[in-house]
Parts: sequence; C-alpha cells; structure tokens
Amino acid sequence: MNDVRPMIMLQRLHRFFDNTRAVDDVSFEVMRGEVFGYIGPNGAGKTTSMRILATLDLPTYGDALVDGFSVINDPDRVRRRLGFMPDAFGTYPNVNCREYLDFFARAYGLRGRERSDALKHVMGFTKLDGLAEKPIRGLSKGMKQRLCLGRSMIHDPSVLILDEPAAGLDPRARIELRQMIRELADHGKTILVSSHILTELAEMCDRVGIIEQGQLLAVGAVEEIQRGHAVLSEVEIRVLENVARLRQWLADRGDIENLVVDGELVRFSHAGDRREQAALLREMVLADFSIAAFGCHVKSLEDVFMHVTQGFVQ
Amino acid sequence: MTSMDSTPAPSGLDEALSNPFRADHQRPSRASRFDATIDRLSERLNPILVKEARQALKSRQFVITFSLLLACGWAWSLVGIALASPGIYFAPGGTFMLIGYYFVLAAPVLVVVPFSAFRSLAAEREDGTFELLSITSLGSRQIVTGKLGSAILQMVVYYSALAPCIGFTYLLRGIDIFTIAFVLFYTFVTSVMLAALGLVVATVTRSRQWQVVLSVLLLIGLLVVTVAWSITAVNIIFSGNSMPYQTLDFWTSNLAVVTFCISFVVLFVLVAAAMISFASDNRSTKLRVVMMVQQVLWTGWMTYCWMRTEADEMLVVFMVFPGIYWYLMGALMVGENAQLSPRVKRSLPQSFLGRMLLTWFNPGSGTGYSFAVANMASLFLVVAVLGMLAEAAALAGAPDNFGWLLFGLLATCYVVIYLGIARLIVLGIRQFAYVGMFVPFLIGLFVSLLGCATPAFLQAWWFGYSELEYSPFQASNWMWTLAEAANDDLLSTPAVPLVVGASAALVYGLNLLFAIYEVEYVRQETPQRVIEDEHDRVGAPSSEKSASGEDHHLSREP
Repeated sequence: MNDVRPMIMLQRLHRFFDNTRAVDDVSFEVMRGEVFGYIGPNGAGKTTSMRILATLDLPTYGDALVDGFSVINDPDRVRRRLGFMPDAFGTYPNVNCREYLDFFARAYGLRGRERSDALKHVMGFTKLDGLAEKPIRGLSKGMKQRLCLGRSMIHDPSVLILDEPAAGLDPRARIELRQMIRELADHGKTILVSSHILTELAEMCDRVGIIEQGQLLAVGAVEEIQRGHAVLSEVEIRVLENVARLRQWLADRGDIENLVVDGELVRFSHAGDRREQAALLREMVLADFSIAAFGCHVKSLEDVFMHVTQGFVQ
Repeated sequence: MTSMDSTPAPSGLDEALSNPFRADHQRPSRASRFDATIDRLSERLNPILVKEARQALKSRQFVITFSLLLACGWAWSLVGIALASPGIYFAPGGTFMLIGYYFVLAAPVLVVVPFSAFRSLAAEREDGTFELLSITSLGSRQIVTGKLGSAILQMVVYYSALAPCIGFTYLLRGIDIFTIAFVLFYTFVTSVMLAALGLVVATVTRSRQWQVVLSVLLLIGLLVVTVAWSITAVNIIFSGNSMPYQTLDFWTSNLAVVTFCISFVVLFVLVAAAMISFASDNRSTKLRVVMMVQQVLWTGWMTYCWMRTEADEMLVVFMVFPGIYWYLMGALMVGENAQLSPRVKRSLPQSFLGRMLLTWFNPGSGTGYSFAVANMASLFLVVAVLGMLAEAAALAGAPDNFGWLLFGLLATCYVVIYLGIARLIVLGIRQFAYVGMFVPFLIGLFVSLLGCATPAFLQAWWFGYSELEYSPFQASNWMWTLAEAANDDLLSTPAVPLVVGASAALVYGLNLLFAIYEVEYVRQETPQRVIEDEHDRVGAPSSEKSASGEDHHLSREP
C-alpha cells in the first residue's frame, strides 16, 4: 500500500497573490525514493509551491498531499514526515551548531537516545562534527547550507523539500551536496529539489518538472522530456573520402535538414531518435562511406529548458 | 543515474551508519554524567525554554542587565546605608531600603523582561526563524509558553540575584515579611502579565515598520504600568504594617485578583498562540472557553463580594465590567471568518444537545456575536435572579428599587444592538473587500461612540447646550441612558427601555438570519489515511517509531 502511494502529490494547486498567479493549476506526483527536480526561472512559482508543501502557506485552490496527508487539513502529520530546506533561512544568535540541531531535535519531539543518535547521525552525514561548537553566525555559506540540510533531516523525515540547496556553494560543496542528495534517495527518501544549476539536476534527478509563470509546462524523466521536446538532433560526421557524394546522399533523404559541409566534417539536423540515428550510421557504412566519427548532440536539460520556457516573468 | 552508482564514494552517511556510537565506548567522567542527567531532565522542559535559556546566558542583553542589577543593588546598599546612617543603628530602616531595592528590581522585571519577550517572538518572525520553528512538531501554544517560560526564568534569576538584599531589609526592621512578599509577589504577577501581553503584541503584525511602531507603543505602555505599579507598591511598603493580613476579606480579594490575573495570562497566551497558528486551525474555541471561565470567575467573585459588602450598588458594578468586556471581545469575534476548514469540521459536535450548546464556540462572526450576547444575557439573568431573591427574602444588600434591573437589561440590549450593527456592517463590507479582524473591532468602537455622540450633538445643536437634558431622543446614547438607569431616573421615561428593547430584538433577529449558515456545518468524516496513521501511532511501541512515524531510523543502526 505504502509503495504505490505517491509521497508527494500536488492536486490542481493554485496560489494567487492579488492578480499574480504564482501557482496556476499545478499537478504532479513524486514516488518514494525518487528525486524530483523542480525547474523554472525566477518567479516561476517553485518556492511558492514548495512553501505550500512545507505547510508554510495555503493554496488558493487545490491541495497538496505528503504521504497521503493534506497540507491544509493535516499539517501536523505532514510536518512529521517532511523536512524543508528553504532557499534563505534565519539563524539564532548565541547558538552553536550542536545547540541549533539539538534544539530542532527536541522541537521534533526526539528524546533521550533517539535525540543523541539523530544528532550524531546528522552531524556525521553533513560532516559538521568538527564545527559542533562553532557559532552559527560565523559559518560560511556552504557550512550553513549543510547545517540547514542537517536540520531538515534531524527527525528522519521520509520527504525532503530542498529549495535551491546549491545556491552560493562552491563547486566542491555542490558535488558533495549532490552526493548527499543521491544517498538520501538511495535510503528511500523522497526528494523534491529546485535549482538553477540544470546540469546538476539532470544528473541527480529521476524526474523533473518545468514550471513557468505558475504553470507546469513539462514533467517526466529527463530523457522523456528530451524526447518529447526533441525537434531535431544535431549530428556531426567526419568522413575520410567522397564528401561530395555523401552530401548528395544525405540531401536526398527526407529526414535531414541544415546540411553543412566543412572539409571532412558534415553537420546536419536529424529528425530521428537514437535508434534511427544508429540506423542512419549503418546505412552510411553499407553505402561505402568511410565514416571516421559519428557524433550526436543530445539535447541537454538546459536546451530543453530553453526550448520549453519563454523567459516570461510575472 | 549518477556516477555514485558505479563508484560509491565514502560518505558521511556510511560513516555515521558504520560507527554511530563511537563516543559511547569511553567511560564517562562524573562531570559528563552530571551533564547527561541535566540533559535528560531538560527533555521534560519546553524546547523553546531550553534554547532561550542557552541563548540568554550568552546574550549581551542578559549580561548587561544582570550586571547592572547587581551593581545597582550593591550601590543602593552602600548609598542607602550611608543616607540612613547613623540612625540605622537604632531606628528601623527596612522600609527605606526596600523602596530602593524595589526600584532596582522593577526596571528589569517590569520593563526589560516583558520587552525581551516581545522582541524574542517578534525577532523570530522578522529573522525568518519562525517559519522553521512552525514546521516542527511544536504547537503554537508550546512556542508561546516557551517564550513566556523563558521570561519567567529571567525574572526568577533577577529575583534570586536581589534576594540577599531584600532579606537584608527585613533584618533592618520596619517592614514585615508579609509586606515584602506581597509587593514582590504582585510585581512578579504584573511582570508575567506584561510579558504575556508583550507576546500578544509581537504577533499582531509581521510588517517590520509596524513592529517598530508597536515596540515604541509597548515600551511606553510598560513604562506607564511600571510607574503606576511602583506608586502603588511604594504606598503598600509605606503602609505595610497596617495591611489587614488577618482578615478573611484581604485573602479572598487577593485570591480573586490572582485568579483573574491567571485567567488573563492564559487568555493572552492563547491569543498569541492563535495568532501564530496555522491558518486552517481552530483559533476560536479555546479562547471562547477561557472567556467563559472568566465570566464564571467574575460571577462567582462578584456574588461573593455583593454578599459580603451588602451594598446594592454592587449589582450595577456587577454588570458594568462585563458589558465593556463582552462588547470589546464581541467586536473582535464579529470579525472572525465563518469558513471552517475540513480539519475543524472533523471535531464539530454531532448530537443535538452538543450542537445546541457547543456550536457557539465554533469560529465565525455569527457564532461569536451570539456567544457574546448569550454570555451578557446570562450574566444579566444571574444578577436579576440574585437581586430578586434577595429582595424577596429581604436580605441585607437587597435593592430597594428596579433601577439596577433596568440598568442590566439596557446594558445587555446595547451590547446586542451595537455589536449587531457592527457585524452587519462588516458582513456588508465583506461582500466587496477582504476585512481582517482589527477593522471590525474599530467599526464596533466607532459605531458605539457614534451612537452616543450623534444624539447628544444634535440635541445640543437644536436646543442649545443650556437645554441639554436627558430625553427619549437620547435612546441611542448608551452612556447617558445607562447613567440615568443607574441613578433610577429612567423609570419616568418608559419609552426609552421600550425603544431600546425593540431595537435589540430587531438587530438580534437580523443577525440570527445571517448566522444561519454558520450553524449548518456538520461534522466531516476523518479521512481513512488519518485514522490509519492514528492507529499506527497508538499501536506501535514508541521506541520503534521514528519522528516520521515510520521505521526509517532503524536504518541508522549499525
């Protein structure tokens, strides 16, 4: 029963601020153990929907469920299952890292051994052991992000919502954060993560949703979206001889566009998927062309994002 | 898939999983065992209190205030003794010294601590820490009581710091232990009330600009209360030896004051908690229960007071304060939104009796209006029955005319009329625009004042100020009409009670019409998922459950 129930479910979620439709009829599901990337330009409605999921805001219409509980009607049950890492968060003065995490462990109702174990586990996982006694306000941005991630997982939630967790981090910290997120997913956590660094999201996410002006424009696995929005693939071939004959041969085909020859290099746009590209290569070899290299530029998540979104800001 | 799949890097999680208890192998020292015991004991306390205590001990504000308190205590000890010398060797000097110590204590306890409580909660909202706090398992009431607990802890620390000095005043003679305890106790109670009020003020707005305005207003208010209470405290200290400690009335009247103070602290805490609670929560029912408790307290203590004093004027006093109280509370309640979330509907009463008696505790402007009116009316009935019984039995204190009865009836009618008009106006405005809770409160005040000022002004305008005497034209002027009723002067103009009574009936009827949909709400079924979760939580042993209610944390075991 638990395995088939989506851990996160947005049901026709709407959130309006006066005339601004921050979230406009957004629906999607995230299953247990999945990392779902939430992509969109600034002001697209990512943070608003995440705040609604984190029970910090109420939808104008629609509902959002976490592990089957409504964020409107059962926020207390949602909160027990959910860890939220906001894009910006305040810290307390005169509190060190251990005290900060200890406070939230207590606030989530952890007692005795459970609390001390949770502290050890989180500090170990986020590699904050060495900074336990350091005041929070003296931490670097990266360390603060780690601390916030630690805080969001101190009560061992089954769902994590991470809003721009990699913002402002150096490359090493970003890589480590990505590893942490993947590890959490491997341990069965369901993760909804938003980021502007699309290459990273493409690597760590099982599925992504692209949102703009409050509307979900595409949702699915990265490859699915790439296929769904693939207009033409860019193919580059290096041919050792008979370049002119190859040019004519390609020009006679109906699935080739934008053919350009540059010495040994032949570039063109191809309207087929990977299987059809493989078939094209086989045909060229059988047609006795000396193909030294065959490259196909797969549309990256950035390409898809640029293709899907218009760059509108509300 | 990431590269993690093929080449798993050593990670914090794996490390933590492989050796999570590495520190446990070392034999703990006595100090660390003591630490662990304290840590375990602290788990019984509110987490906010623990956090705030840790923060406060390191905060500059606490260090400065505490140091100043000690310094001032020492300074006054030296200066006071020097001023009282050489008489201090043979004349009682305790009163003089206690006044000085009182002022040393009053500044931090009556100003700094309540203001710190206000800032503590306001800063959570300003700095963005409140959001993280609000999504924990802590309820809004726990957050507020934690803040209040922290304020009380600071007071206790300040009291403890000055305790030797205050003990010293008793040794100097001239002041008895009861008076010292009396002044200190009420200073403490006042401080707790002010801290609770400060927490309410902190929740009024999230806007930084308004927070600044409110903080200035609060500071002025705290200074005013400090000065007022200090004047009272100094008078008590001076008249200490003449305080009637031996009499029963002294203790019962103090008990009455303390019960009211406690009820108001609870009310303030619940108001602050309601203000910061989740939007779909039921923010009203608990507040209405406390209001009703206050009504019961008032009825009980005033009945006792009337019987003890045997003064028929008490019957009028009996109605005056509840009239003001229910009007103000009613003005806030008519601003409530009547939309009940499905969550609130799950706990609505189901039986006929339950619906009849408890529907008025549900959130909503119509139920709020009816609740205020019902309480006012029930109080009037109690007063009427008491007065008539006393009259029938010819008891001492029985009223000798019907002025008090008319006063009670009219006071109830005016609450019905003006609250009802305010509610109808609010309902009208809400057809076009969003109205919060503060605007209806202002509308309530404005309408009631307009009802007084308009006829008085018109009568003065038409007939001149010299001819300004009470007439039936002043029926809407509740201040003047009630004053006439209390003085037994209204019995000669029966038109006024008739007009006021008929108006009250009309306004009440209209309001009931617009409140029908609020009583139509019925209980909503609890979703199956919630029932399952409740069953899981109750059924499974807590040691095997993680905070998420699942067995995830078992994965942490090595």
